[in-house]
Amino acid sequence: MTTTARPPAPPVRSHPENRKWVGKSIRRVEDPKFLRGRGGYIADLVRPGTLHAAVLRSPHAHARIVSIDTDAAAALDGVYAVVTGAQAAELTEPLPDFGPDPAKHTWRCLAVDKVRYVGEGVAVVVADDRYLAEDALALIDVDYDPLPPVVDPERALDAGAPLVHEALGSNLAYERTFDFGDVDADFAAADLVVRDRLRWHRSGGQPLETVGAIADFDPSTGQLTAHTNSLSFTSYLFMVANTLRIPANKLDIHQVPAGGSFGSKLFVTKPLVLAAMCSRLVGRPVVYLEDRVDNISNCDHHGSDRVYDVRLAVTRDGRIRGIDIDTVDDYGAYIQFGVGHHGNALAQVTGPYTIDSVRYRVRAALTNKNQQGAYRGFGSEVNNWMLEQMVDKAARELGMDPVQIRRRNFIRPDQFPYFIPTGNVYDSGNYDAVLDQALEIGEYDRWRAEQTQAREEGRYLGVGLIAAQERSVFSATEFWFWFDEPGAPVTSMPESVTLNVDATGGITATLYSCAFWGNSPETMVAQLVAEEFDCDPHDVSIIYHGSQGGLPATGPGGSRTTVMLAGAVEGASAKIKRKARRAASELMEVDPDDLEWFDGGYQVRGVPEQRKTLGDIAIALHLFKHSFPEDVESGLEESQVFDHPYTTMPSADRKDLGVFYPFMGHACHVPVVEVDIATGEVRILAYAAVHDCGTLVNPRSLAGHIVGGTAQGIGTALYEEFVYDDTGQLITSSFLDYSIPTAMEVPHLRIGHVETPSPYTPHGIKGGGEGGRMMAPAALNAAVNDALAPLGVRVTELPMTPDRLRAAIRAAGVVTGGR
Amino acid sequence: MTEELQEITLTVNGRRHVLAVQPRRLLVDVLRDDLGLPGTHIGCEHGVCGTCTVLLDDASVRACITLAVQADGRSVRTVEGLADGMRLHPLQEEFWDKQGLQCGYCTPGMLMRAVEILEQVPDPTPDQVREGIASNLCRCTGYQYIVEAVLAAAPRMRSENPWDPTVPTEAKA
Amino acid sequence: MKPPPFRYSSPTTVADAVALLAEHAADDARVLAGGQSLVPLMNFRLAQPGHVIDLRRVAGLDTIRLAGGELVIGAMVRQATAERSPEVALAAPLLAEALGHVAHPPIRNSGTVVGSIAHADPAAELPAVALAMDAELTAVGPGGERRITAADFFQGPFTTALGADEILTEVRFRSFPGGHAFVEFSRTHGNFAVVAVAVLVALADGRITRSAIAASGLGGTPLRLTAAEQAWEGSTAGSAAIDAAVDAGTAGLDPAGDLHAGSATRIDIARSCLREALERATERALDRR
Repeated sequence: MTTTARPPAPPVRSHPENRKWVGKSIRRVEDPKFLRGRGGYIADLVRPGTLHAAVLRSPHAHARIVSIDTDAAAALDGVYAVVTGAQAAELTEPLPDFGPDPAKHTWRCLAVDKVRYVGEGVAVVVADDRYLAEDALALIDVDYDPLPPVVDPERALDAGAPLVHEALGSNLAYERTFDFGDVDADFAAADLVVRDRLRWHRSGGQPLETVGAIADFDPSTGQLTAHTNSLSFTSYLFMVANTLRIPANKLDIHQVPAGGSFGSKLFVTKPLVLAAMCSRLVGRPVVYLEDRVDNISNCDHHGSDRVYDVRLAVTRDGRIRGIDIDTVDDYGAYIQFGVGHHGNALAQVTGPYTIDSVRYRVRAALTNKNQQGAYRGFGSEVNNWMLEQMVDKAARELGMDPVQIRRRNFIRPDQFPYFIPTGNVYDSGNYDAVLDQALEIGEYDRWRAEQTQAREEGRYLGVGLIAAQERSVFSATEFWFWFDEPGAPVTSMPESVTLNVDATGGITATLYSCAFWGNSPETMVAQLVAEEFDCDPHDVSIIYHGSQGGLPATGPGGSRTTVMLAGAVEGASAKIKRKARRAASELMEVDPDDLEWFDGGYQVRGVPEQRKTLGDIAIALHLFKHSFPEDVESGLEESQVFDHPYTTMPSADRKDLGVFYPFMGHACHVPVVEVDIATGEVRILAYAAVHDCGTLVNPRSLAGHIVGGTAQGIGTALYEEFVYDDTGQLITSSFLDYSIPTAMEVPHLRIGHVETPSPYTPHGIKGGGEGGRMMAPAALNAAVNDALAPLGVRVTELPMTPDRLRAAIRAAGVVTGGR
Repeated sequence: MTEELQEITLTVNGRRHVLAVQPRRLLVDVLRDDLGLPGTHIGCEHGVCGTCTVLLDDASVRACITLAVQADGRSVRTVEGLADGMRLHPLQEEFWDKQGLQCGYCTPGMLMRAVEILEQVPDPTPDQVREGIASNLCRCTGYQYIVEAVLAAAPRMRSENPWDPTVPTEAKA
Repeated sequence: MKPPPFRYSSPTTVADAVALLAEHAADDARVLAGGQSLVPLMNFRLAQPGHVIDLRRVAGLDTIRLAGGELVIGAMVRQATAERSPEVALAAPLLAEALGHVAHPPIRNSGTVVGSIAHADPAAELPAVALAMDAELTAVGPGGERRITAADFFQGPFTTALGADEILTEVRFRSFPGGHAFVEFSRTHGNFAVVAVAVLVALADGRITRSAIAASGLGGTPLRLTAAEQAWEGSTAGSAAIDAAVDAGTAGLDPAGDLHAGSATRIDIARSCLREALERATERALDRR
C-alpha cells in the first residue's frame, strides 16, 4: 500500500429517501419518435440539393501512393469535386489527436504519401447522389507501390520491422513501466506465482447506423454549420475548428440521435472534417455518411487488441498479493486517444480485490491496421478478463473453489472508500452481497450438480463465475498521466444543463453535449427534473443546444452521463428553487425561511393551504417583474455547469495516479455453457448477471444495458473479430464475415440489482452503461474453461472460435469421434 | 451509361404512387428519398442486418437488396403505416412499455418483422419469437425486451380491438 | 454501397428472356430472380452486369407441381413458398428441412430455390440438396431446352455448367422414399453454413439399401460423399454402420480453410454433422416402416 498524502475526499452526501421518480422504470421519453420511424437520424436530415461524398479506400495494407489520376472521375456528369489526400492536406490541418507526440504519426482525413491500412481513405468524391459518387470512385486510378506490411504487434516491435511511420523511427508509440506498491517484495513473499500468456483480439462497437455528418459552409459569414451523430467532447471542438482552419466561434455543430455507438461514435471527427472540407470547396451542403465497409475498415474505433504476459503472486491460502502485467497493445496505424485505454485498466486494475502491488508495463505498437478508439469498456473490460482469468488459474493451481478465492480477496464493505495501489479510489461497494445474489439467481449449486451428472454422460458443461469492476465517470487525467511532461492541471470534463420554467410552469431542460446514443439522457434528465419539481417526467421538454455558444460540456463516454447530468440538474434545480422561494415569499408576503417545497410548490410551513405552485410563481416572474424587488430579473431560467466531483492530481513521480475514476460499480456474472468438444461450438444454457451501479434511476433501462452489453460481450467472447491476414488484408470487411450475435446466440438473462449508493454523487448514482460488456467476455471464458477442465484444457484467447477451441482440445491430445 | 428510367407503381401503406426510377435504385432509397419515408433505415446494404426490413405483399424483405423495380405493382408496408394518427400500434406500444428499443435504429425493421411473425403465428411461444426475430440484428438490447414486447403484443393483436387500451404513462416495470 | 448502373428488361416469356440474354451477351447480361445473391454482389460492385433481365413477369415460372414422381419447382418460386408447400413436404422433405436453414425468413421471402442453386455458393444449402437428390435443372437457351444433372451442374465456386446464353427455368427433384436429414453447422443463426450435410436413406429389413449423402462447405462445390454411401449400404442400420460411413465420408477430405473454420476443424465439424444427419435419417427411415 502506498502512503501517499492525498487531498481530502469531497463531503459525504446524504441521499433523500422516498423518491418519486428516481428508481422507477418509466417509459422512455425519447421513444415515440423512434417507434414511429421519425428518429431524425443523420441520414434522415439530408435535404434535396445536398451533395453526397464517398471515400475511395485503400486496398493495400501498406503502400506508397505514387500517383492518383482523378480526371475521369471528375469528368463524370454529376460530379462536383474529387479531392485527393495531398489536396486535402492543403485544405485542412491534421485531425485532432490526443496521442503521444502526434507530429511523429500525423493523422489526416485522407492519406497523403502512403496508405497505412486497408480501408484508409485516399480520395473523396462529391456528387449529386451516393450512386454517382460511387460510380466516380471506380474511375479514380491510383498507382500504389506496395510496401511490406506490419501485422503482428509483437513483430512490429522487432528491430528492422517495416515502419508504419518513418518519422517515429520505430513502431513503438509508447512504452512505460509503472510500479505501484512494493511489487518485488510481494512476489518474493509469495508461495506461488501464477503465470499466463493471454491474447485478446480486436472487435468493435459496430452500431447498426454508421457515422455521418452534414456540413454547410456559408462563405458570406465564414460560418460552418454541421449536423453529426458524433457530438461529444464538446469542449474540445475548437480542435476541429483548428483542423478546418476556421475560428472556433464560427463552428456550430448540432447533435442528432445516433443509431448506436457503444463508444464508436466518441469524438469521431473524420467524417465531419471530410464533409466540411467538401462543403467549403464546392459551396453546397455536403453529406458524408459511411457505408458499412467504411465503418468496419476505416472507423478509427476498433477495440483493444492485446497480448498479455502476467504473473500473479499468491499465498498458499489464496491471498493475492501482487500482480505483474506486461502488455503489448496493437493500436493500428494511428493512436488518437493515446493509451487512455490502459488508464481505464489502471482505474480498476486490481478488480474487487485487496491486491497490494501492481507492476504495469504497456507497449503501444503501431501496425498496418485501422486504429483503436472506443468500445464499451475502453480497455477496462480487457483488464477484467485478464484478471479474472488469472484468479481462476490461481484457484485451479491452489485447488480452491472459484467462489472461495474471490471471497477471500474481496475488499470488505467497511474498507470503503478504498484506494487501490494505482491511487484511484473505489467509493463504495458490497461485493459479497452481489456474489450472494448471483449465486442464488444463477442457481449456482444446482448447475454444479448438473455439471457433475453431465460429466458422467460425457458432456462438457461449464459454470463461469466472475466478479469484476465497472468504473464510471472518468477524469481526463487518465489521458495524460502517462507523461512526465507536459503536466497539466486536473481536467474537470464538465457537463451542463439549463432549466427553463415557462410562464405556465412547464419545464424545459437544455443539454449541451449529451448526444443520444441509445442511452436515455432525456428520460434520465426528465426523471431527475420530475424528482426535483414533482411533475410528470413525460411533461418535461428536453432540447439540445448546438456547440456554438454552448456551455461547457463533454458528452457520453466512460459511463459518465447519468452522474454528470444528475449533478447539473441538481445544481440548476437548486438555483431555480432559490429564486422561486424568494418570489413565493414576496407573493405571499412571508419570510422565505418559513416556506417549504411540497408537491410542486412552496407553502408556508404548517399552513398547507397557503401555497404557490411553481406555475403561480413562474407566471409572476415572467410577466410581473415589477412586483418584485429591484434585483429580481424577469423569467425563471438557471444553468449549472457540473464539474467532475472527485478527481485529484497524480503524484509527480507517477507512483500514484490520483483519483480519476472513483465511482466504482461492480458485477458478478454466472453463465452456464455446454461445449461440443467435437466441433468447438459453445452453447449458452443459462446466464445470470447481478450489477451494483449505486442508486438506480430507471431500472428497466439499466437492465437493458446489462442485457445489451452482455450480448456484445458474447460477441467478443465467441464470434466477433476484425481479422487481418498475414498480408494485412482485412478479411472481415462486411457483416457476411463479421458475425454479430442474433437473438439465437443471446440467452435470456436473469438480472439482479444491488444498490450501494455512492457517497459522492447526487442520489448515490454510479454509471452503468458499459457493465454488461465489461463482464461477459471474462465470464464466458471462465465458463468454457470450467467446461474443459476435465480435459486439462484452458482457452487463453478470445474470441473462442471453433478453430481455437478445437486447436486447444487437439493440443491436449483429446480424440473425439465426431460427436 | 444512361439508364432508362422505369415506370413503376408502388402501393405504400395503402397509397398508390407512380414513379420513374433508375433500375439500379434500391427499394430502401426510393422509400426514403423519393417518397419521403425515412423510417426504413439503412444498416449494412448487403442484406444481413435487417434494419431495412419492410413488408412486400405482406412478406418481410430486405429493402437494401431489393431493387425498386422488383416491387413494381406490389404493396409495401413500412413503419410509417403502423400507427393510426396519435394512436400507436400495439407492437409499438409494447416496445415502448418493455423498452424493446434503445437507440431505435433497428426498431422499424424489427417492428415490421414482428408484424409478420404475429400475422403468421398469432399466439407464438417465446422460442418462436426469439427465432423469428433472429433475422434482424439489434446491437443495443440483447433482444430480451424485444421478445417480451412481441409476446405482450400478441394477445392484444388477437383481441377484438387491439387498438383499444388506454395508454398508461407509466410502465408496468 | 450502391449498385452500378445497368440497363433493365422485364420480359414476359422465357423465349423473350433468352433472346434478351443473347442480345446483350456482350454487355455481361445477368438474370435476376429473387436477387438475394445478385443484388448484394451489385451493392459491393463485385457484380457489374451491363444488363439485368428480371424474370418476375415471365408467366409460369412461379409454380410448384408434382409430375410423374418428380417435384418441379419453377425459377421464380420463392424459398418461403417452397418451404410451406405441401407438395415439397410430401415429395422432398429433405428440401423442406434444408430451406429452414437458408438465411432468414425475410431472405427466403424473396430468394428463389432455383436462384440459390444457380448461384452455386459452395457454402449454401440448396446445392447440396440438389446433389443428394440427383436433381435435374432445366436450362433454356437459343438452341432450345436441355436438362443438366446436379452432378454435372456444379463446377466450382460460383461456377456452373449453365451457358452464358441459358436461363434456368426449373429444377426437378426425384422423390426418395425413406429417411432424410439436413444438418448444418453455422457460426450464428441464419449465417452461411460452415458445413452442411444432406442425407437420404432407404432401409429394407433393417438394412441400408440405398442412400444419398452430400455436403457443402467441404470443397469448391457441394460434394457427393459416395464413399460414405458405399461404406454403410448393405449394412444393418445402427451405430456401426454410421461409424463406417462417417469415417469413409470424411477420409481423404482436404477442404480449404477460411475465416470461419480451418481445414482440420472443418473436417471435425463435418464428422459431427454427418453423424447427426446419418442418425436422424436412419431414425426417420425406421419410423416410416
